[in-house]
Amino acid sequence: MSKKKTQEEVVLTPKKVYNFCSKKKLILGVVIAVLVVFIAGAVIRGIHLAIEFKGGTLITYTYQGEINTNDVASAVKDIVGSTVTVRTGESLDSGGKQITISFTSDQGLTVDRQTELTTALREKFAENDLEIYDSNDVNPASGREFLLKCLIAVIFAAFVVIIYIAIRFKNIGGWSAGVCSIFALCLDLLVAFTATVVCKFNIDSNIVAVFLTILGYSINNTIVIYDRIRENRKLMPKASLNELINVSCTQSLTRSIRTSITTIGTMLVVTIVVMVTGYDSLLSFSVPLMMGLISGTFSSLFVAPVTWSWWMNKREAKGKKSK
Amino acid sequence: MTVKKTGKKTFFIVVAFIALFAVISVLGIDKLYGDNRTTYVKGVDDIRLGIDIKGGVDVTFGPAGEFDANEDQLDSATEVIKTRLSSLGITDNEVYSDTKSDRIIVRFPWKVGETNFDPESAVKELGEMAELTFRKGTDTTTDADGNEVPSGEIVLVGDDIASARSAYIPTDDGKDYEYVVSLELNSSGKDKFAEATGELMGSSTPISIWMDNTLISAPTVNSTITDGKAQITGSFDADSSKKLADQINSGALPFKMETKSFRTISPTMGEGSLDAILLAALIAFIGIAVYMVFLYRLPGFVAVIALCGQVAGSIAAITGWFGFMNGSTLTIPGIAGIILAVGMGVDANIITGERIKEELRTGKSLDAAIKIAYKRAFSAILDGNITNVIIAVILMGAFGVPDSFFSKILNKTIFFAFGATAEGVVYSFGFTLLAGVICNFIFGVFASRLMVTSLSKFKCFKNRKLYGGDTK
Repeated sequence: MSKKKTQEEVVLTPKKVYNFCSKKKLILGVVIAVLVVFIAGAVIRGIHLAIEFKGGTLITYTYQGEINTNDVASAVKDIVGSTVTVRTGESLDSGGKQITISFTSDQGLTVDRQTELTTALREKFAENDLEIYDSNDVNPASGREFLLKCLIAVIFAAFVVIIYIAIRFKNIGGWSAGVCSIFALCLDLLVAFTATVVCKFNIDSNIVAVFLTILGYSINNTIVIYDRIRENRKLMPKASLNELINVSCTQSLTRSIRTSITTIGTMLVVTIVVMVTGYDSLLSFSVPLMMGLISGTFSSLFVAPVTWSWWMNKREAKGKKSK
Repeated sequence: MTVKKTGKKTFFIVVAFIALFAVISVLGIDKLYGDNRTTYVKGVDDIRLGIDIKGGVDVTFGPAGEFDANEDQLDSATEVIKTRLSSLGITDNEVYSDTKSDRIIVRFPWKVGETNFDPESAVKELGEMAELTFRKGTDTTTDADGNEVPSGEIVLVGDDIASARSAYIPTDDGKDYEYVVSLELNSSGKDKFAEATGELMGSSTPISIWMDNTLISAPTVNSTITDGKAQITGSFDADSSKKLADQINSGALPFKMETKSFRTISPTMGEGSLDAILLAALIAFIGIAVYMVFLYRLPGFVAVIALCGQVAGSIAAITGWFGFMNGSTLTIPGIAGIILAVGMGVDANIITGERIKEELRTGKSLDAAIKIAYKRAFSAILDGNITNVIIAVILMGAFGVPDSFFSKILNKTIFFAFGATAEGVVYSFGFTLLAGVICNFIFGVFASRLMVTSLSKFKCFKNRKLYGGDTK
């Protein structure tokens, strides 16, 4: 199909065009609300880094009979006051069953506390005959470096994505569009992080997976909308930017909602199944991801296009003034 | 553009292809000869599951004997182990170091098909924990325990060697080609090696290479090597030169390590979490299938077939079908990558489904509407997926095995401040995402277009309502 023919194409604007661009205050409100919840969550709940990022102590006990890791975890929680990871295992060299508890360093596990803990656990699980087997202090250096490298990798990826958008969406002013898509992404990541903090999940490598998933999903979502704007720009050369954004967002609305139902629905199913079957440790993956996806739907429809229109209009106004 | 017009048959060919692909990638192809199972194509059973899902081995290493490692040495030993794990395709691992007691704790998942869960044999997979030394001469003495130990003056230790690789280069006279092992030394090793080669050049005393007490090679010195780049020549063939290079690489530990303890560990996510994940995946997939068919009728039905193909494609990638991408360990982040890719596959189908509806509403013929809808939807799908390819490639480069192409580029530029660490968890995510996105183009775009176009040729499927068009 030639370009000429595309332009002759009838433009079928939706019967009702929603005014997305007038929702500046809504966005500002949402951003502030998320920030407030995040700060409140961080202050009240605290941010819990997992042992690989923070360092800490791994204590291993040998035991007899059957032991339930969840019971041990909750018993330790009563004594130390925060959640720990408990794993069971079997040693082949000494031939005993073992249980390993990971404490992060902020849990203040001094030698005295460790003895206290051992005594308390021995009392509570008397029939399991707990014996201390091993205690290792774990160095967080490589975990921290990993976290930092992740951060740089994500920033670098975001930068390359901006360049890509700038090139592919030249006809609608790609640079600013790219920057706005990353701004929307930041909001989604913040929402996911807030969910982690508020739910008191440990920041472990699951959160890295969550962030990366949201990174991909959020940008894809925004690009689909930009693509519509790019296409409509050709079809309606005379329309103002706000009109264009409103029409494009309205046209993409059904698709955005339907896609979101499938993705958010999937995470909802995971969350429910995990809760029913009792594998709570997967919640630290599914819940933040679900919140991030919800935010992603909102931010790609509102935050990215609206901040972008605001930016472009401001630039235009400035341009006029200087003339 | 299309070479051949999509006919009625196309649908059945595509469906048959997807079905065959799905069955093979799930079941794999293997044959039983008595008790021996030969695997030709790996199936779901051959996927190595991460420690978070299936549990694995927990090994504690420490320096052998009374050796007191400093923090740098411990760190470099940690890196060596991490890199080995990644090179072995064990992308899921936890490595902790404890500077106080000089210990390195390594956790990694069980090998596929390991049923007796024997940590001792699992540890062997990690390779030699021996110390590598380059010494003057091949003299040995007998130590207090009666073992024969090398006694030549130490020239280089594992720490001094940056890398070793097998190469196929012209011989000195330029007439022939031969296999050699080429070495690259660190700045620490360069001067020491220059001095030793200067001293031994022309003499009959060789420089011997030892793994602990085992002599693995004893080349003589032909010239003084001052630039830190050396070649070991001799009667190597492709296999023996690679073996020596591997031995030197994996022996590049700063000190000899021994296992202090090893034990099994239960999965982080809890025993049986895989069943929960699979149950959730099944429910979600059925839900999506019903939803797609309900919303988009015929294109929705086609989308479900395409999604089956895509999931099969992800499985195939993890089991290592594609030569250019090694198989990977399946972990929670890896599953996240699959979810994201499948989500984008669903999205691609929704975008097209919506477009077909829209085009039908403008009053176009069915054929034209389908053609234009796929064409217009493609730009959105392309850009969305390419950005994800960018992300996946960056992650794989940043956290993959240091030898891989992207790692080499990225580690020398953006991540110069970091060691070339291989972090399996993130790599695994990038891997499944990249594989999923590629499948997206194959199944979600290409195959589903073929199927919808082909089906629309059938008389019984000409009804516009089946595509979400208006009733009129």
